[in-house]
Amino acid sequence: MADDKRTQSLMDKVWNFFTSLKLAITVLIILAVSSIFGTIIEQNQPMEKYQQVYTDASVRIMDALNLFDMYHSWWFLLLLVLFTVNLSCCTIDRLPRVVKIVRNPKTTLDEGLEKSLGLVDRWKKKGALDAWVEKYAEAMGKEIGKPRVTRNSDIVHLYAESGVVSRFGVYVTHLSIVIIFIGAIVGNVFGYKGYANIPEGGSVRQIPTRGGTRPVDLDFEVRCNKFSLTFYNDKFGNPTQQPKEYASDLSIIENGREVLRKKIVVNDPLQYKGIWFYQSSYGPTGAATAQVAVVDPAGGPVTGLALAAGQKTALPGYGTITGVDYQPNFQGSGPALLVVLEKPGQPPAQVWLPQGKPDVDRKRNDRYFFSFGGLTQGFFTGLQVAKDPGVNVVWVGCTLMVIGIIIAFFMSHQRLWIRLAPSADGRVEIVLAGAASRNRLAFEKKFEKIQDDFKAVSA
Amino acid sequence: MHIALLKVTTAFYLVGALLYLYFIVTLKERGAKLGRMFLLIGVVLHAVGFVARYVAAGYTPITNLFESLSFFALAIVAVFLVTELRYNLRVLGAFIAPLGFVFSVFSAFQSGEVARLAPALNSYWLPIHVMLLFVGNAVFAIAFGAGIMYLLQEKEVKRKRLGAIFKRLPSLDVLDEINYKCLTVGFPLLTLGIITGSIWAEYAWGSYWSWDPKETWSLITWLLYAALLHGRLTVGWRGRKAAILAIVGFCAVLFTFLGVNLLLPGLHTYSSLSG
Repeated sequence: MADDKRTQSLMDKVWNFFTSLKLAITVLIILAVSSIFGTIIEQNQPMEKYQQVYTDASVRIMDALNLFDMYHSWWFLLLLVLFTVNLSCCTIDRLPRVVKIVRNPKTTLDEGLEKSLGLVDRWKKKGALDAWVEKYAEAMGKEIGKPRVTRNSDIVHLYAESGVVSRFGVYVTHLSIVIIFIGAIVGNVFGYKGYANIPEGGSVRQIPTRGGTRPVDLDFEVRCNKFSLTFYNDKFGNPTQQPKEYASDLSIIENGREVLRKKIVVNDPLQYKGIWFYQSSYGPTGAATAQVAVVDPAGGPVTGLALAAGQKTALPGYGTITGVDYQPNFQGSGPALLVVLEKPGQPPAQVWLPQGKPDVDRKRNDRYFFSFGGLTQGFFTGLQVAKDPGVNVVWVGCTLMVIGIIIAFFMSHQRLWIRLAPSADGRVEIVLAGAASRNRLAFEKKFEKIQDDFKAVSA
Repeated sequence: MHIALLKVTTAFYLVGALLYLYFIVTLKERGAKLGRMFLLIGVVLHAVGFVARYVAAGYTPITNLFESLSFFALAIVAVFLVTELRYNLRVLGAFIAPLGFVFSVFSAFQSGEVARLAPALNSYWLPIHVMLLFVGNAVFAIAFGAGIMYLLQEKEVKRKRLGAIFKRLPSLDVLDEINYKCLTVGFPLLTLGIITGSIWAEYAWGSYWSWDPKETWSLITWLLYAALLHGRLTVGWRGRKAAILAIVGFCAVLFTFLGVNLLLPGLHTYSSLSG
């Protein structure tokens, strides 16, 4: 027996530990404070980078404490587990009590309850008790809700409540956190995050993943049909170097057939078979080439050249042309190309070819004149690729959290009691009492109004 | 036009703040009344300036330090005016109006030129996410002001020297009530702000949570206020403890907003300084 009692009390102790709100507050604060480390120490960087920033000894200590990837470390996850267990135990411990209160409300206003309530008032009315019961039942119906009537011999109790759901707001919120965690776990176990750099015209079937050793095989192909990049213009309408929008025209190819095509931009991804492709970055493939037209003023055919930077290109019967410089905004009038023209036996000549003025070079009165048609740059598109089967679970959790918080914070369980009893002087004694689970100040005002209204009710 | 309007607003906030300070020193009602009028005109001008800038820029102007400091000032002063209306707490103005002025003036030090919007910010989640958070932050600013007043008043009460300060500040009960009220409004707003941010991040980056410093700090702030909330509801953290936590919480709010951008690396810092 004694043994039994001791184990019982140990179990109780464990249970009390996990259901205690002190634990909840402690865990919340430890989570908050420990999270700071991961914002100061850059996470998931290569070791060499840490060794540059910190001394060897501190790198070793921080590494041992998993501070370089702390949000996935065993101790941080343990804290989250403790948090979840605490949350669940608190719910298991308290929810049945709340359900009991909600299902079996105290519908009679006895002396004990009356003393425990702050908002109580009493007055007397002349007339028949039953007539007043009816009057006040109607009045309560207007204020809070249709009352339940309990008769104890010649005493009648009326009880009405509203906003009873607010009692559950906190549990809905707690449940939502558990659901969000479940969603996050599902995403981590069954999903992946990767990236793909696809040059224009190219396609990929495999996605290298972050943290994974082997790339993921897609059972379809993603092709980048076109990558487009637009820049903001400055005040004068000339393009700046600041990107306004970058977009990839993507196709999903399955079994040799295009099954889906979409132009994606930042903030507007493509999804196929639960795998999402996000526009994330871009970059040049190879060097840019300058498009130069070679025009014969005598009316000969126009030849097009693609000049790579610094590379001499021969023009038979003329000499060579080399693109040496490019300026996006030459003398305030837009992009221009600087070329060096070399003819046998003559010193090289430098000529600026503005893109907006194709005929300007004609003035040189040369055998040929040149006009610059713009730079051509091949791009690759940088895509983030993510599969997260848990994300919808997370959204369900988030929705529940919003609902739970609204219920918990903006609704109040309001209760109102009236006890009617025959008084010694032949009148009816009426006792009014009220309680609210939150926002007591506002309920006090409401109660005052009810007091005045109810006292003024006439037979 | 909008830059000039925002500068004029700052002047109104300054005069409003000075009038409220004048009120708390002399206890002359006129000071508080005039102060409120100046703040009210300031807020209206500020709102007009905000809309004018929206029209000029073509996006909700809360994308860089200038714009977000300015919007924060607007939110703080607006939330204060609403609080004052409900609780008739003129003294709070002496603590909050200067705060609105400081943010407004800091914003005036930044370049007010309309910047070009980075592609990542071009989303309808931008106004939803950022505005929810700033209004929430403004509510926490009120709790911060009330917290400081609480500590001052408590000191006064403990010394049993009910003098100049005691006369001017509201009772401890009222201050504690404001603390709680702000928590019940600010916390839902902060939660909604974090959730909308997650949704946006999922659509922009493919990850609803990536532990970047801004996200983490918003979570730290959330955890602190959650601790305060549970402490209040269940283990009786009222009064002094609640006031201190409201102050600490607001420091976390400020760090999430400013410190992260200025001191820490991360995704949210892509466009120089964004909200």
